[in-house]
Amino acid sequence: MLTIIIRSIIIYLIVLLVFRLMGKRQLGQMQPFELVLTLIIADLATIPMAEVSVPVLHGVVPLLTLVVLHFILTLISRSSHFFSKIISGKPVIIVNPKGIDYKAMKKLNLSTDDIFEALRGAGYFNISQVQYAIMETNGKVSVMPKAEYAPLTNGDLKTNADESFLPIVLVSEGKIIKENVELANISQGVIEDIINKNSKGASVKDVLLLTLDRTGEGYLQLKKGEGKTITAKKVVGV
Amino acid sequence: MKFFHYFNFILIILLLVFICVAEDSVVSNSLSEIQTRCYQLEEMIERRDDLKNTEMTLAVDNLEYVWTRDEKNMCFLVNHKNIQEIGQEIAKLKLYIASNDIDAFKVSIEEIKFYCHSYLHFMGANWHNVL
Repeated sequence: MLTIIIRSIIIYLIVLLVFRLMGKRQLGQMQPFELVLTLIIADLATIPMAEVSVPVLHGVVPLLTLVVLHFILTLISRSSHFFSKIISGKPVIIVNPKGIDYKAMKKLNLSTDDIFEALRGAGYFNISQVQYAIMETNGKVSVMPKAEYAPLTNGDLKTNADESFLPIVLVSEGKIIKENVELANISQGVIEDIINKNSKGASVKDVLLLTLDRTGEGYLQLKKGEGKTITAKKVVGV
Repeated sequence: MKFFHYFNFILIILLLVFICVAEDSVVSNSLSEIQTRCYQLEEMIERRDDLKNTEMTLAVDNLEYVWTRDEKNMCFLVNHKNIQEIGQEIAKLKLYIASNDIDAFKVSIEEIKFYCHSYLHFMGANWHNVL
């Protein structure tokens, strides 16, 4: 039994390495060849894990071979548009200004229910609001609404809106994120001051989340308490 | 980072090549040696027509020693179930010496040779094996 435990750990670490080498795509964002690879890897990993007579190498060798194959396919797909189309397919317009493209719908083996589900997922509950819907190669549907249903933007209103900045997480679950503190170019003392000023008597250990952006706006929530928007001096250096 | 990415893949390819070469070398050397020793045992039987002698006992002990030594290395590379019959037949050889059963001894040697030969054939990368 100990052998199985050790084998499982080894295989787990190798599969983890394989997925790290393959990239960070989520299941829904995978290209067809990546999905196939993932399914095969899952199956391959279990054989040497459960069967003690099979050497671990019999699982590792095909896994590594698939990583190399994936790398080569990705490389060729990037360099050749034609090959990329063969391997991953190409985006298909399923809804156009005239309505649903029935031919494309049948070609993709979709039903009207599938199209409606995808449109609802994109936030459009009525097909008459949609100008174009495109089935991407990873199976996701991108929707372009008709002009009258498109969300209003600052550009449409011709207003001068302030740029928004990414908030930096400075404290998470009672721990200062040193990497982010360095990125923000502030000291630990400043963080303690911000916490003290906004929640009297609280220390870093009591904080669930503290974020701050370049404009000095942030969010503070203690482990025992509600979250609130805070304003600090423009301390963040990025 | 890109260099590191390429470096990883080159490393994996080299590792795969190394495993293939190591498998071919270790398995074919070990099984060939077992086969050779089996032929030597057959010659001994032809010469003496008797199993209960020191030369035969030593030869079988050596065969067992070689097999035990090589089996450990082979278990890294091949499915243990595919080669375990060889070990079983070698163990039987000792029993046949004790009972001086020449016919059964010869059958066991044939079986060891057969398993070695069939695994050597099975291991090679040719179209029959691939497909």
